[in-house]
Amino acid sequence: MSENATIKILICQGTGGVSMGAKEVEAEFLRVIAEKGVDATVGKRCDVIKTGCRGLCANDVLVDIITEEQGRVTYDFVTAEEVEKIVDEHIVNKTTLEKRKAKPYYNTFVDQQMRVVMTGCGQINPESLDAYLAEDGFKAVEQCVKQMTPATVIDEMKKSGLRGRGGGGFPTGMKWSFCAATPGKLKYIICNADEGDPGAFMDRSILEGDPYCIIEGMMIAGFAIGAEFGYVYVRAEYPLAIERLQMAIDVCYEKGYLGKNVMGLGFDFDMRIKKGAGAFVCGEETALMASIEGERGMPRPRPPFPAVKGLWGKPTNINNVETFANVRHIILKGAEWYASLGTETTKGTKIFAVTGKVKHTGLVEVPAGMTVREVIYTVCGGIANNRKFKAVQAGGPSGGCIPADILDTPVDYDSLIKAGAMMGSGGLVVMDETTCMVDVARFFLTFTRDESCGKCVPCRIGLKAMLDILERITEGRGEESDIEKLLEMGTTIKKASLCGLGQTAPNPILSTIKYFRHEYEAHINDKRCPSNCCKELLLWQVIPEKCVKCGACLKACPVDAIKWEKGEIAELIKEKCTKCKSCYDACRFMAIE
Amino acid sequence: MVNLTIDDIQVSVAPEATIYDAANAAGIRIPILCHDKKLHPFGGCRMCLVEIEQMKGRLIPACTTPVSEGMIVRTTTDEIMKARKLVLELLLLKHPLDCPVCDAAGDCDLQNLTYEYKVEKNTFTDEKFRWKIDYENPLIERDQNRCIHCGKCSRICDEIVSFGAYSFINRGIEAKIGTPFDDKLDCEYCGSCISVCPVGALIAKPFKFKARWWALKKVNSVCSYCSTGCQLTLGVKDDKVLTTIYDEDQGFHNGQLCGRGRFGYQFINSDKRLQTPLIRKNDQLVPASWDEAIALITSKLSAQKSADAAAIAALVTPRLTNEELLLFRKLFKGTLGTDSIDHSAGYAHTALTKGMKESFGITASPAVIADIQKTALLLVVKTDTYETHPVVGFEINLGVKRKGVDLRIISDKSGKLSKLPDAKTLVHKPGTELLLVNALAKSIIDAGLADASASGFDALKSSLAGLSLEKAAAATGLSVEAINELACDYAKAEKALILMPTGLAYPGHNAELATGISNLAILTGKFGKEGCGVLVLGEKNNSQGAADLAIHPTLGGMDAAAIINGCSSGAVKLLYIAGENPLVSYPDRTKVQKALDTVPFIVVQELFLTETAQMADVVLPVKSFAEKCGTFTSGGRSVQRIRKAIKAVGQSRSDGEIFASLIGTLSGTAVSADAAELLQEIAATTPGYEGLAFETLGDAGCVYPVTLAPKLIAVAGAEDVREEGKFALVIGSALYHCGTMSRFGEGPMLVCPEQYIELGRKDAAKLGVVEGNKVKVVSVSGELTLPVKVGLRMPEGVVFAPYHFGSNSINSITTGSPVTYVTVAK
Repeated sequence: MSENATIKILICQGTGGVSMGAKEVEAEFLRVIAEKGVDATVGKRCDVIKTGCRGLCANDVLVDIITEEQGRVTYDFVTAEEVEKIVDEHIVNKTTLEKRKAKPYYNTFVDQQMRVVMTGCGQINPESLDAYLAEDGFKAVEQCVKQMTPATVIDEMKKSGLRGRGGGGFPTGMKWSFCAATPGKLKYIICNADEGDPGAFMDRSILEGDPYCIIEGMMIAGFAIGAEFGYVYVRAEYPLAIERLQMAIDVCYEKGYLGKNVMGLGFDFDMRIKKGAGAFVCGEETALMASIEGERGMPRPRPPFPAVKGLWGKPTNINNVETFANVRHIILKGAEWYASLGTETTKGTKIFAVTGKVKHTGLVEVPAGMTVREVIYTVCGGIANNRKFKAVQAGGPSGGCIPADILDTPVDYDSLIKAGAMMGSGGLVVMDETTCMVDVARFFLTFTRDESCGKCVPCRIGLKAMLDILERITEGRGEESDIEKLLEMGTTIKKASLCGLGQTAPNPILSTIKYFRHEYEAHINDKRCPSNCCKELLLWQVIPEKCVKCGACLKACPVDAIKWEKGEIAELIKEKCTKCKSCYDACRFMAIE
Repeated sequence: MVNLTIDDIQVSVAPEATIYDAANAAGIRIPILCHDKKLHPFGGCRMCLVEIEQMKGRLIPACTTPVSEGMIVRTTTDEIMKARKLVLELLLLKHPLDCPVCDAAGDCDLQNLTYEYKVEKNTFTDEKFRWKIDYENPLIERDQNRCIHCGKCSRICDEIVSFGAYSFINRGIEAKIGTPFDDKLDCEYCGSCISVCPVGALIAKPFKFKARWWALKKVNSVCSYCSTGCQLTLGVKDDKVLTTIYDEDQGFHNGQLCGRGRFGYQFINSDKRLQTPLIRKNDQLVPASWDEAIALITSKLSAQKSADAAAIAALVTPRLTNEELLLFRKLFKGTLGTDSIDHSAGYAHTALTKGMKESFGITASPAVIADIQKTALLLVVKTDTYETHPVVGFEINLGVKRKGVDLRIISDKSGKLSKLPDAKTLVHKPGTELLLVNALAKSIIDAGLADASASGFDALKSSLAGLSLEKAAAATGLSVEAINELACDYAKAEKALILMPTGLAYPGHNAELATGISNLAILTGKFGKEGCGVLVLGEKNNSQGAADLAIHPTLGGMDAAAIINGCSSGAVKLLYIAGENPLVSYPDRTKVQKALDTVPFIVVQELFLTETAQMADVVLPVKSFAEKCGTFTSGGRSVQRIRKAIKAVGQSRSDGEIFASLIGTLSGTAVSADAAELLQEIAATTPGYEGLAFETLGDAGCVYPVTLAPKLIAVAGAEDVREEGKFALVIGSALYHCGTMSRFGEGPMLVCPEQYIELGRKDAAKLGVVEGNKVKVVSVSGELTLPVKVGLRMPEGVVFAPYHFGSNSINSITTGSPVTYVTVAK
């Protein structure tokens, strides 16, 4: 049977898919197709293919069926029970189940993106070397070794304008050239897959969906820099990513794509996974190296920089997963092509993990320079529950908030920094009018306070001191001088801390004060939370003017603290209320304060 | 050199210098809490932040940032001061303000900086930590509530001590310095962590509530335990030595000490010190006056001299100063006319006085301690080197970890040194060291790696001709390949150094073995150059001085073993012992006991009423090293001054004063006991010591030069006397002890209080014993019942025991052979 004569059933099996039952769905497809002899019936081979994540994890299990007649049709929220029906109708009877098809927004979500890094994710079987080879896999490294020199590879990277996707945005070609220029026989390549920002999972998705592209990216870096050993530092919380990457590494060793004289190209490259142990700070490159060395993951002073003295004192180049995923595309399609994407200072595409109060949460890959508004409204369908947009937090715990009036900020490194946020690893947390910005700052600081390694004083004690102030404010015990104190401390902590964690941890506070100072002032001066979010400051009453008499609050209340009759304005009985906020969350009309 | 400007001052420093170093050079003080020049850069406290013109907008840590050409540095801008003040405020937010009861008060970096930066009030409020204080180990009190997370304790323990007792644990504000499983501290108690702690989080328990820092008088001296020659500062108040004080600028070791150096000082003011002379009357030692005691000794000596001077014998401890040893030699060899004087049981100094003498023409080592870190390959004979000379062990650690020294060890057991990165230990059968060393020489010659022009080459070659590497391998329990590999690596190394400790516990580390290892160095030309040679380390603080001053028979007199025999046989009629404790530390207790029982008259000069002193007819109380002046010569040939720190305890006199007064009385000509004068005399008469004087020695001391006359000498190993089916008992030094004196220092006894026997895991399992159980150990010369320690380092069939203890002393079952074959039973 020819390639054209197959029916492909692509089942999303990223962590999201698997947790929604993708394995059972896959098993059911295989069972039904085999038992019913579907191949014979339709005269074509049905290939059930597991793929990586395609972004809209909220709609898992996603199943794409590609047939000659119907093209590609996506079904979402597929369960094992439905499989037989889908096979019968769609494949055997060639009738699309219109009602079960993914809604148009799914296609918008997909079509509005530009997939470069994630071309393989969701399309090919991540566990198959052949599938990767069919997508020109390992062609890029072959091209580098056969047709280029290490210097020209680095030049190509420089020309492409690729910048580090881990958050810092340092030009990748430049970084490689530093390490290449350091003398030394033994050098290391490290892939930083210690993705720790709350809500960000693009690195995990790439490792799960297209692990071979990381291996190839690292091999190319190894060739360019003169390193023969690569480590992938993956956090242990990513078991599936580790499993698939390890499988890929094993296959590569078996088939001669790793080890001595790789692919007969005359250069050696070895690779190993190092599992992280759950510390956020190990995403910081010097802490990461300490962790690989078996030490406690604590940042070390720089200089010396890793390119000069890194892992075990040897010149080391560290890049993020997404950065390495870009490499093969740049080599294959050329630096000019890559440089044509994106903006003046940020080339290529960027993957964002959009979460929060947005309609469609998930991973989106867009060309750099798209505006934040486009990402949220065009790609992700806007704000959920018809509420009002308030801000978007970009860059994770190190980033900052972008308010509504600068929503047209393009997503590139420099514009985001200018807006007081940062690209970071690409987390976008969307917030609506019910989100209190002081509380947001408190949330992120709780995270950084907990994740501080405890080495330097400003971060270890300073963040705790700032968090204490924020907690006071959200509990209605703020003092007038607090804002100034936070600003002053935040600025000093940024300047005085040892590593990136402490140097950026005050950002959520500083940017929320910059754009939402009035919310701080309301908390401190009026002892009110304008978003009615901070529990201690809620009045625990129904606003009659806003109440639409729907009774949603009554249903939500677990302790009978709401009095409501049909057609009546609800009433909150304070004596019974346990301040659980269920009614507040249930009310779509902001009628509880 | 790199030129930069700091606070408008031009300064030129080496390229590897940090901004902090450069500021120091320019006389600008930058505050630090976590920086230590001995340790790798850390950058945690953020006190040393400075501004650099070229890196505007950031604050740069001075202690971790290297200088670069044209840097313009500011160290005291408003922003810097604000940041430093914030750091101090934050630290004080959690650090308890219990300064009035804190031992570190007055010597606390945090306290001093708080004062300097005028931090009068705190912008923040928070609760203090409530970590449980670790009172549960004998020597180090750990109060994590006071900790400021400089990490120095954990870093020094890891980087220099290589023990790794501490690490940061937990995250964020809950982070703290922890021990394994956050349990009570259980380490080797060197106290290095205490010395570097900038606050009072780690304090020396023995010093707690003894004195305020500012009330202490600080006196520079030299440690009186082993021959490493560590300098130390004694903290003195009211004529009592209350502590040792850390001074990072002191000595080659930067003030680092081992456990006994740091915690073993209590013997100085011990209640057990002898207060008055004692004279045996009615078989009881009773207090007497000095006049009475000296009169008695003089009359006995004088009578014996007239009767038969050759029947006078004297043993002396190499813990005395050079000047005192000179007077000792004068008294016995000169005034009394006997050549029968010795020290260290006679055998423990032969590696120097005979081995080195014959191989290199000097009674000292051709190499010095500084060579350890400068060599390429270091061959250590016996892992015990770490236990006998712990601070030399630190040097080895640093050499291996920082300088990439290739460490090789030949030993009868593994040990701490074996655990160093890439260290290779050849564990051989006990007692086969010399055979192994000869096999190495043979391998070097066979491989054509030897210098055939070396003096004595042909004789050595022909003496080794009959040596079969296969047989040597079989006898030593090693493979021929391993022997060849070590020989080849040693010979081919760019620089190589061999290190061997000697001492009462190591009868096998004698002249022959010293000659054997010297042969390796001479065969391959690895001597007389930086990082090359042989370093034979004596056991006691002045073992080297005793070797240099020839405190042993030189004209056919009796050596220590002969003296002991002579006492029993009647050849010795009067035995004079200054500081030695042969009953406990010399081989074969029964024999020594008999000797002391038999000899008609014994004089003992001692600090304490030791087991030997109890058998004396006259006991004279002497001063400790803290009560006198003089010089010690270290195993690395460094002549260093000790200084009087306190007045004499009780009526004690220095050994030198006693010898001088005896010389005066016996000869009728007064001699001076003044150390400065005596050093002049030593300088005039001792090779290498030429020109030495108190003034020129200063604080640093002086490593005296040597001229080498290398010669290869054939040495044959002793015959294999292995006894199958028995355990091979090897004796040695416990890490916490040195000789028998450390038993009177509280610290060492708190950690290691009694005689024990160490068994390997498998042997312990076979015998069905666990740590703490007692076993019966029987040799041909006696039996002992000893508690068991189970150690990973012991090979099967080999057991170990230290020799320092008086009760159940191990010499009850050993007779001075390198290995004693014993049975061990439950």
